[in-house]
Amino acid sequence: MTQTPLDPTPTSRSGLRGWLLAAVAVAALVAFFALLPTPKADRPAADAAATDLPSDTFAVVGVRLFDGERVLPRCDVLVRDGRVAAVAEHLEIPSGVPTVDGAGRTLLPGLLDAHVHTWGDSLADALRFGVTTVFDMFTDPQYAAEVRRRQAADGNPGAADLFTAGLLATVAGGHGTQFPIRVPTVDPGVDADAWVAARLAEGSDYVKIILEDGSSLGHPIPTLSAARVAELAAAAHRHGVLAVAHVGSAAEARLAMEAGVDGLVHLFLDADPGVGTTGSVAHSIADAGAFVVPTLTVLESLAGGHGGAELADDPRLAAALSREQSGQLRRTFGLPPQPGLSLDNALDTTRRLATLGVPILAGSDAPNPGTAFGASLHRELELLVTAGLTPVEALTAATSAPADAFGLDDRGRVAPGLRADLLLVAGDPTTDVTATRDRVAVWKLGRPAPLQASEPDAAPGAAAPAVEAGLVSDFDDGLSARRGAGWQVSTDRRMHGESTAEIAAVDGHLQVTGEIAAGFPFPWAGAIYFPGDAPMQPVDLSALGGVAFRARGAGGPFRLMLLGAAQGGMPATASFAAGDDWRRVVVPLADLPADLDQVGAVLFSGGPGLGPFRLEIDDVELLASDADGGQR
Amino acid sequence: MTLTRSDVPASDVSSSVPTPTAPRPTALTPTVPTPTVPTPPPRRSMLRIYALEARAECLKLLRMPAFAVPSVAFPWVFYILFGLAFGGGRAAGPTTMATYLLATYGAFGVIGVSLFGFGVGVATERGQGWMLLKRASPMPPGAYFAAKTVMALAFSTVIVLGLFALGGAFGGVALPTGRWLLLAVTLVAGAVPFCALGLALGYLCGPNSAPAVVNLLYLPAAFASGLWFPVQVLPGFVQAIAPWLPPYYLGQLALAAIGVEPRSPLWACVGALALTTVLALAVARLAYVRDRGQTYG
Repeated sequence: MTQTPLDPTPTSRSGLRGWLLAAVAVAALVAFFALLPTPKADRPAADAAATDLPSDTFAVVGVRLFDGERVLPRCDVLVRDGRVAAVAEHLEIPSGVPTVDGAGRTLLPGLLDAHVHTWGDSLADALRFGVTTVFDMFTDPQYAAEVRRRQAADGNPGAADLFTAGLLATVAGGHGTQFPIRVPTVDPGVDADAWVAARLAEGSDYVKIILEDGSSLGHPIPTLSAARVAELAAAAHRHGVLAVAHVGSAAEARLAMEAGVDGLVHLFLDADPGVGTTGSVAHSIADAGAFVVPTLTVLESLAGGHGGAELADDPRLAAALSREQSGQLRRTFGLPPQPGLSLDNALDTTRRLATLGVPILAGSDAPNPGTAFGASLHRELELLVTAGLTPVEALTAATSAPADAFGLDDRGRVAPGLRADLLLVAGDPTTDVTATRDRVAVWKLGRPAPLQASEPDAAPGAAAPAVEAGLVSDFDDGLSARRGAGWQVSTDRRMHGESTAEIAAVDGHLQVTGEIAAGFPFPWAGAIYFPGDAPMQPVDLSALGGVAFRARGAGGPFRLMLLGAAQGGMPATASFAAGDDWRRVVVPLADLPADLDQVGAVLFSGGPGLGPFRLEIDDVELLASDADGGQR
Repeated sequence: MTLTRSDVPASDVSSSVPTPTAPRPTALTPTVPTPTVPTPPPRRSMLRIYALEARAECLKLLRMPAFAVPSVAFPWVFYILFGLAFGGGRAAGPTTMATYLLATYGAFGVIGVSLFGFGVGVATERGQGWMLLKRASPMPPGAYFAAKTVMALAFSTVIVLGLFALGGAFGGVALPTGRWLLLAVTLVAGAVPFCALGLALGYLCGPNSAPAVVNLLYLPAAFASGLWFPVQVLPGFVQAIAPWLPPYYLGQLALAAIGVEPRSPLWACVGALALTTVLALAVARLAYVRDRGQTYG
């Protein structure tokens, strides 16, 4: 039998070569997979503090202890395999167990934040500040399920523990529907029991209900009725979980108590009618046996306070704040002050509730403007003390009180058998509560956590180009701009709002006509300018002094907003007036606290009040930092 | 001298023509001619037939840069542009963008190479008349499809390994070795349902329409299945379509391999892909039977 040219019958030698090639290919594949990167240990290697701290089995010796309820002036605490093994004034520490010196320091249980909204890195951020457990009040259930899976698998040592309400209960168009997360609303006809069952099936630990008619925000929005809230609370109880409520006013708080809710996750900024009498809202909360998370931190920010900026400047926290967090702390809601609403009311109500024995829980409502994960809980402790609680009562509000309220018996205290979620600080927070910021060590399940933010892993090439001072647009040639991606109309319709606007270049100036309408809770409508090469591409304005333009109009006041490239949070806002005559307006950048080196857009808008407006602007300029000012 | 079957080397696939060895009927022997059923080649040579056909198929495509380069480079370029250049370190749920998109663009790549290799490949070869030749050869029909599947799996492996190298070297992707392997196996194995889909398309379309049809189905389906952007950020009506598209299920399996909770349970994903394979093979068979080589041979 001869071989034809088309017959590639291999000889025995090329058969061997075939096997050799196959072996080489397999070896190459094995080498390839062995070389692919695997995750490093949970904490960044650059953090020397964490690697110096012992893990799993160790003792903190000679330390002042706040165990969640009481203060022990001198104590030894032994941790074994991630759990607290013994607490006593003097312990015999077994040889070989590393010790941490507690002289001049205080050991506390890891803090619990009773009101947050988690996403992305927020749980890791919280842990750096000593917050080892958070109670989330609205997030994407799939994200929460993934975190819970990791918690169940290995305890998720690099991040705080998460308990969540999952999706919240609200009506169509109500508070909570303005975010990108799709919420199945509790509209008429929806069975409350089935809705609650669906949330629990998604992984919710408790039910959060919205009772918010918008009076604290300045304009009305639809809300659940008190009867529906009662149905939802009853359904939650039938399923064996707590029902908590978001309320925006004293009246809503009372309704929530009558509806059988177990706790309020906000206090209100208006005064308690009947304050000081047994008919007060505070009394109805006490009589109902409910707990309260005052969230004074976010109320302070809503009312226009700058506690967040002060927090960002605190040297004890600076190293732990990521750049995004610093920016968030400096942002404001940008709402004009509302009559009858002030932080003092909330502080007063907090004090009265504490006197009546209502359990007070510390919660930050991060990441709203003016707040940041972890850091803001320290501000909350400070505000609770300002309200009149003692430092020990405030520390209780962040440790054993939330654990008790939510039925957790493995944390919130330092006691044998409980988790070694611990916070070691320098100084004495039982006399000066701000000493909690001076963290020496944070342990979760006995494993030390980093105390500093790692290098921000910005996208490669993320430094935004600096923009020079100069004229942006004089509108003599239509809507064009001398630099940047130009002008467009922008309204809150993209966030399902109802405001409208039209812009046009008329007679050499920009005319913006529109109407701010109720719908989106933070409505806007107007003209937006993109200083970068593409819409929303960030630029660096930090070297500039301000924005100047000429304006006239009707239906003011108006707003100038800087929109950052980072998603989320409220834009920095400054208010300005414009009347019948043209006048020059200068807005210094100092009035617009924001990440000035990552500005994506400048928005000229009506509002925040509802109604029609007309704004005409001309000669828009970016000013250098030594320019003179004009009127506001 | 009559060329009989025993003289033909069994491995000579393309040049042999079976000849019946029936005796010549004569006027005095009115026997009904009984053609001898050609005996199948021995098992060792059967394996060699498959191996040769697979090797020929791979070589053919490697020598067609118009196919090989885009089908391999396209997912790599997409990943570089969207997974790496725009900030792979950003959070995407519980993982980073670079890791998330590694899974979804991996699915995109293996689906593409399978649909094009089969869909366009089979349609073109039908148009060229290959089918007639192949049917006339002793090559078992299974070898043709097995060879194309091997080709699709081989190209899929190249795509996946290339994506892994890009992600690991430039995207900061770091997974436990077990997950790297699981993702690779999931993606490469997941090419099979799309080989079946491609086969059905190859028999339903002609050589001129196949590239257009495959593109028109592949690209929008990949987009709507959440392979370019996560399904969660797509508009509501698009999200509603996704569970009807097979690429969606491969994308979810790939995400499950890297540790992202899939939106549909695992059994549903695997079942959907298995169902796709069975239905597509049935459609391919029907199309083949209906056609029976009449249109193109």
